[in-house]
Amino acid sequence: MEAFLDFWAAYGSTVTFSMVNAFFALSTYAVLSAGVLSFTTVTFAAVGGFLAANMVGNFGLSIYAAFFLSAVGGGLASAIVATLFLRLESHWMALASLALVLITRVVVLNAPGLTGGVYGKVVPMSISQLDLLILLVVVTFIFYRLHNSWYGLTARAVREDAAVASTIGISPFRTQFIAFIVSGIVGGLGGAAMAFTLQFISPETYFVGMAFTMLASTVLGGSFHWFGPIVGALIFTALPATMQAVVPAIEDVAKGIALVLIMVFLPRGLIDPRAVGLRRAAKLREEREKRAAGENANG
Amino acid sequence: MAESPEKTVMLDIDNVVKRFGGVAAVGGFRMKVREATVHGLIGPNGAGKTTLINLITGLFHADEGTIRFAGHDLQKMAPQDIAALGITRTYQNVRLFSGMSVLEQVMTGCFLEKKSGMFASFLGLPSARADWRRIRDHSMELLRRVRMDHRADELAETLSYGEQRRIEIARALGSNPKLILLDEPTAGMNQAEASEIGRLTHELRDAGLTILMVEHNMGLVTEFCEACTVMNFGQLLADGDPRTCIANPDVQEAYFGRKNDATRIQALR
Repeated sequence: MEAFLDFWAAYGSTVTFSMVNAFFALSTYAVLSAGVLSFTTVTFAAVGGFLAANMVGNFGLSIYAAFFLSAVGGGLASAIVATLFLRLESHWMALASLALVLITRVVVLNAPGLTGGVYGKVVPMSISQLDLLILLVVVTFIFYRLHNSWYGLTARAVREDAAVASTIGISPFRTQFIAFIVSGIVGGLGGAAMAFTLQFISPETYFVGMAFTMLASTVLGGSFHWFGPIVGALIFTALPATMQAVVPAIEDVAKGIALVLIMVFLPRGLIDPRAVGLRRAAKLREEREKRAAGENANG
Repeated sequence: MAESPEKTVMLDIDNVVKRFGGVAAVGGFRMKVREATVHGLIGPNGAGKTTLINLITGLFHADEGTIRFAGHDLQKMAPQDIAALGITRTYQNVRLFSGMSVLEQVMTGCFLEKKSGMFASFLGLPSARADWRRIRDHSMELLRRVRMDHRADELAETLSYGEQRRIEIARALGSNPKLILLDEPTAGMNQAEASEIGRLTHELRDAGLTILMVEHNMGLVTEFCEACTVMNFGQLLADGDPRTCIANPDVQEAYFGRKNDATRIQALR
């Protein structure tokens, strides 16, 4: 128990940040799992974060109401973004979404009334670790249901081959639009969670650093199952922190090395249902061959 | 087994042109496919057969001409709307979804047959669960038809080429189509397997389906197709009874270059 408390004292905040990053990774996964590489989660997070900060700071709303509004705000922002961006071809969309990240920062800088501008904004409330965990569990359950329902099947089809999916009767646009809405809602929630964790947000909070972390977490954990981004966020947040305790100033190096190793040896990420299927197929084939060989020996 | 004129025309392709840059892959092509027939579409490689299938299913849009299906004009329709009218297809170079089990492939193919909405399915309402089970049972039934039910839970990409082709046919049948377009369904299969596909087309036809089949196996075309259309350089070369079509000197020339026309043989490759 004492060891646990020591651990918690040292790494409690790392766990909190892992959970916050899990929201962003899941938001990225939401679109990636429907075949869209997009950095717009940063924008949805900024909408959610500053909305939550204003609602709590200026209007005295409860933290739960602020979370709800952040989800709605992120969802609405994603509806607009999806309508505009889904006209673009995949790689142009990725570039456009990166441009949107830059634009977001400029907008945040130039709307000091809402965002505090260059000085940032203090958030006068914080979220407990338990509340954060509950919220993450609820969001994860939503992804679990999505994965195991018609949406999950159609999203996988659109991701693997949008043209084939369309000749089956699945609308790629509709599927990816839903993916964006989910991404927006979860991104908005994550933005609010970030605001209530840091208790101070600025234009730099929702910028390229976040874009890098969320995408790296998703790639590292695996973007073919909802569990992947969560594992990815945990490792990608915890690894540099724990490494830092051993060798100081290694944070960025550790991140880079971890990412390169995963990309080389596990290009589909740590959690990969397809790899399980391939292993199973290999085992089945072996059994069949063994049985055939046995029959030949008997006959 | 001549083309029976009393059957209504289901698919009417009239004067269709599709250009890629300066090349007309399909140049003023016309053909009619009648209801509940097995119709063969043959022609040398590069004749524009697959392009035509892509035009019918909406993956490409024709530059000129009309494609009409059961009273609907397919021009400028999105592929998913064409699929909803009752046209599905398979692909020359098998295009199954990576990472999906055999059963999941076919269930995805049943997308248009599901009765529960996506949101009901997400919530896991009892009606949606019952519908999911119904689709799963239906998919298993389709897999039994192509004799792939014993591999339902395996990853489709680990199976043989011929098996993948059969899964693709089951997937195409999932939406309960009126017209199914098979793009070289027996490529890479041996004669026994190919005949099995031939028999399957007759089973489907007897159930009321119309089948348009791109095929290079002439034995299969003469044995199983009631009507035949020959395409060459994007144009109509011959039309009618399969045996007559294949015996046609122009068709023989298009396939084998009878006149020893070197430039034409090059174009056939």
